[in-house]
Amino acid sequence: MDLSIALNQCLSGLTRAGILFMLASGLTLIFGVARVINFAHGSLYMLAVYLSYTFLRLFGPGGVGFWLSLGAVAASLALIGGALETGLIRRVYGRDPLQQLLLTFALVYIIGDVVKFVWGITPKSVSRPPFLEGGIPVPGGSFPVYNVFVIALAAAVGAGLWLMLARSRLGWLIRAVAADIEITDALGVNVPRLLTLVFMLGGLLVGVGGAAAAPLTAGALGMDVEIVILCFIVVIIGGAGSLLGAAVAALLVGLLESFGILLLPQFAVVFIYALMAGVMIVRPWGLFGVPGRS
Amino acid sequence: MKRGLLSRVRVLGLGVLLLAGGLLAGGPGRGLRDAEAASQPIKIGLLYGITGFAAIYTKPAIHGHELAQAEINAAGGVLGRPIQYVLRDDKSSPEVAVRMANELLLREKVDFLTGTLASSVSLAVSEVARKNKALFLVTIGKTEALTSDKGHRYAFRVASNTLIEGRQFAELEKGTPATRYYTIANDYEYGRKMIEAFVDHLKKVKPRAQIVGQAWPKLGETEYTPYITAIQAAKPDVVMNLVYGDMFIAFAKQAKPYGFFEKTRVITGAEVVSTEMAAPLGKDMPEGILGNSYDLFYWPDTPEHKQFVKAYLDKTGESFVPGWAIQGYIGTYFLAEAIKKAGTTDTEKVIDALEGLTIKTPIGPITMRPYDHQANRGQVFGVTTHSADHPFAILKDVRYIPADGFWRDVEEIKALRGAK
Amino acid sequence: MNGSASRCRRAWWLLAAVLAALPLAAPGFHLRLATEIAIMALFAMGFNLLLGYGGMLSFGHAGYYAVGAYTVAILTRKAGLPFASAFLAAPAATALVAWVTGFFCVRLRGYYFSILTLAFGQLIWGVIFKWTALTNGDDGIVGIEAPALLASPAGAYYFTLLLTGACVALLWMIVQSPFGRTLLAIRENTERTQFIGVNVNRLRLCAFVLSATFAGVAGALFAPFDGSVFPSFAFWTRSGDVVMMAILGGMHSFLGPALGAAIMLFLDHTITAYTEYWPFVLGTVLLCLVLFSPAGVTGLARTVAARRRAADRPA
Repeated sequence: MDLSIALNQCLSGLTRAGILFMLASGLTLIFGVARVINFAHGSLYMLAVYLSYTFLRLFGPGGVGFWLSLGAVAASLALIGGALETGLIRRVYGRDPLQQLLLTFALVYIIGDVVKFVWGITPKSVSRPPFLEGGIPVPGGSFPVYNVFVIALAAAVGAGLWLMLARSRLGWLIRAVAADIEITDALGVNVPRLLTLVFMLGGLLVGVGGAAAAPLTAGALGMDVEIVILCFIVVIIGGAGSLLGAAVAALLVGLLESFGILLLPQFAVVFIYALMAGVMIVRPWGLFGVPGRS
Repeated sequence: MKRGLLSRVRVLGLGVLLLAGGLLAGGPGRGLRDAEAASQPIKIGLLYGITGFAAIYTKPAIHGHELAQAEINAAGGVLGRPIQYVLRDDKSSPEVAVRMANELLLREKVDFLTGTLASSVSLAVSEVARKNKALFLVTIGKTEALTSDKGHRYAFRVASNTLIEGRQFAELEKGTPATRYYTIANDYEYGRKMIEAFVDHLKKVKPRAQIVGQAWPKLGETEYTPYITAIQAAKPDVVMNLVYGDMFIAFAKQAKPYGFFEKTRVITGAEVVSTEMAAPLGKDMPEGILGNSYDLFYWPDTPEHKQFVKAYLDKTGESFVPGWAIQGYIGTYFLAEAIKKAGTTDTEKVIDALEGLTIKTPIGPITMRPYDHQANRGQVFGVTTHSADHPFAILKDVRYIPADGFWRDVEEIKALRGAK
Repeated sequence: MNGSASRCRRAWWLLAAVLAALPLAAPGFHLRLATEIAIMALFAMGFNLLLGYGGMLSFGHAGYYAVGAYTVAILTRKAGLPFASAFLAAPAATALVAWVTGFFCVRLRGYYFSILTLAFGQLIWGVIFKWTALTNGDDGIVGIEAPALLASPAGAYYFTLLLTGACVALLWMIVQSPFGRTLLAIRENTERTQFIGVNVNRLRLCAFVLSATFAGVAGALFAPFDGSVFPSFAFWTRSGDVVMMAILGGMHSFLGPALGAAIMLFLDHTITAYTEYWPFVLGTVLLCLVLFSPAGVTGLARTVAARRRAADRPA
């Protein structure tokens, strides 16, 4: 395999990794802070893609429309995330973690049918905005401009998140709740509001990821189930609650998919689950997680 | 302990109640069946993947069924009885399809089964039909196995099949200078069988041809970028594509900025150039790719075809006739004509009537070959082109390629079935 | 005490009578539904040994169900073995697979356990899907037939009923035994149980293998009943179905999961005729249960019964 092929596979893997990171970061954040495993994360992604379709038709497919739509989708998902937390997930906080799992599992069924009801069964397709069309010449061919945009967006989102968590007051509070929710509460922090904010943030991330992915894929029923497994894999391998873990794992999974298809097409499907099982056996808390956290 | 026992009694009581309720609430289909009462409709089970990646094809097919049903019922029905379709979603999953088929046969007590798009689904339902001795007419599922080595008395098909399709494409490549071929097809029954037929026949008509690579994305895959780059790296002359439905939409969108369709000549089966695919893709539909379809709303220019187009547009209010509608339409008419010819809805007699039956369709007469129950259904082939007249790509250089000359000889099928 | 014990016995006899007479009253479709409910009830009750009694939520149980089903399918259709041998091999094969995967799973707690079971379930699915030479991949294996005696609807029904009954009796003995009690203790307080010298992981593994084996038997019953097996049998959403059944019926009750299976299958078959939004209905039901009655339908029944008893009691 020569260099140009490797480069191209790398770049396509990076695009995939970018999307996965944006989605997984939301999932890992929610788990790290609220200790909730959100099965409905894939459903939120599906909502984001379908909403992109609607908003792009509203705002028009041009450059301005694209940014407006992205913003609208992100805002909508943030609101939905917050609403889910306040309305439903909040009620099962103290209880058996099993209950939380089941609640989010129920949401998968519900949101899936809501999408079917609102948008129907035919696939929904959106195009790239004109200012991001075309390709950049690279050795061996050309690489789509839009994919570069996705990678850059993912990097920006990652950097922004990291900065927020490390430097801002909000980030500091979030980390405090993640570390020890009871003491943070005892210190007088408004923990319920913070939890809602975290869910809103998770929703925002899914919204951005979904809106970015929409021109690359088709909005179709069943995409929620597919993507949630991948998000889980990324979060597990990276370590639930770790942002760096999500980034590294997303890179790993994205590149693995890319090269796997090239080198070992027969085993791609099995390999990814074998990897997940392997990581869980050897190091259940993932690459960057904290042992003992459950 | 006392409380435990009491609750258990309640649980058992609830269980018994449920059971009784279930029996009583059996609803339609329970009890005796009025076989030939004049007003009783002829119930036909209709199975399609209504949700899932094939939805874009099944929706028009169902409309085609409904159009034919409306026409037939308006003319007095079949043997004086109206046709009633009982529709079930098989989600393009063989497991769900088997359940639905059993339900249609045993609870809804349908007289016949029809439909199915995914080849794996067609095969699975064919087995249910065989077990229950019920007539199953496949309208879309293309795996050749359905009418050859896995064929039996109760399975019929009005669609083309993978052997015909594969050979037709290979035949079209005969005169071209290309030698390096790459195939990409979803890894399931249809993809594997068609590509096998294509490669086999290609090697016969063009011995210099080389298969430089094969990609097998999983069924339902929406992430094609790694395949796109892998294919480009192999520098093929021609790419034979079978990715369809939602999956092709994703594939085309992801491939476009790589200049994929400009850099390599692409030929595509699976009816990807049909209007219902071209419409959602709009300007993202690649220009200049050769493909097949079951029907085009603008071709042929015959009175029967024009009448069909008009009837469809009037009934549905849509702006064009999708390529799949005709399959549902033809399927319904085949069944109706066979029942009329048999003079009864008795399955065995209808099967006898169906074998060798020729009916008139909007695209000309089609005959059901008696031995293997495969209709001589060819397809229209053309090259995509964007025109100012339509908001989506249409086909130019259109021609119809019949099944004769491409389908398996009856002798061969006899040998295959006998060898089992 | 006498009154309720004999009432209980009478209820059992009534149920047994109804079940035995079913083929006479309910032909065709409903008999099939009853058979399917029995199979799923076995699957759900076996699953609940792990969840309700062991406190471990497995999201990969469909994998073991699939192993049971595929063992019968492969041995009869591909290896040409007689049905009886294939049927006996199924629980053995499932137990073996469960022992290997369970070994790793039981060492983890909480979420991690659930996710690893999910991973193994998907791994089993992937193997079935890709090993086309053995399993026909996603075409599945069709044309599985039981011997003539068991092939008729009534025959299949009685066979299933007998086997399910035997397994349920076995399950009852397991949960009443010291092993079962220790399992409950592990669920309640793992550390303490460890302190009193119980080898927690070994017992958990036992429970895991037993639970999976019952799932394998259910799969082995389903293969000849439906006549075909597909990789989707092992997919994680199927595991989700059995979790639903257990929760719906009530995971803290012995028969609860069976009731859950009956309710879900019954609803599945009736509601799909009226609406295409069955998942929405299912999701809403589950949501309401989680929010208002986490102990499922049986929990609800018990609460109602307890309240009535409290109301009846003089102040």
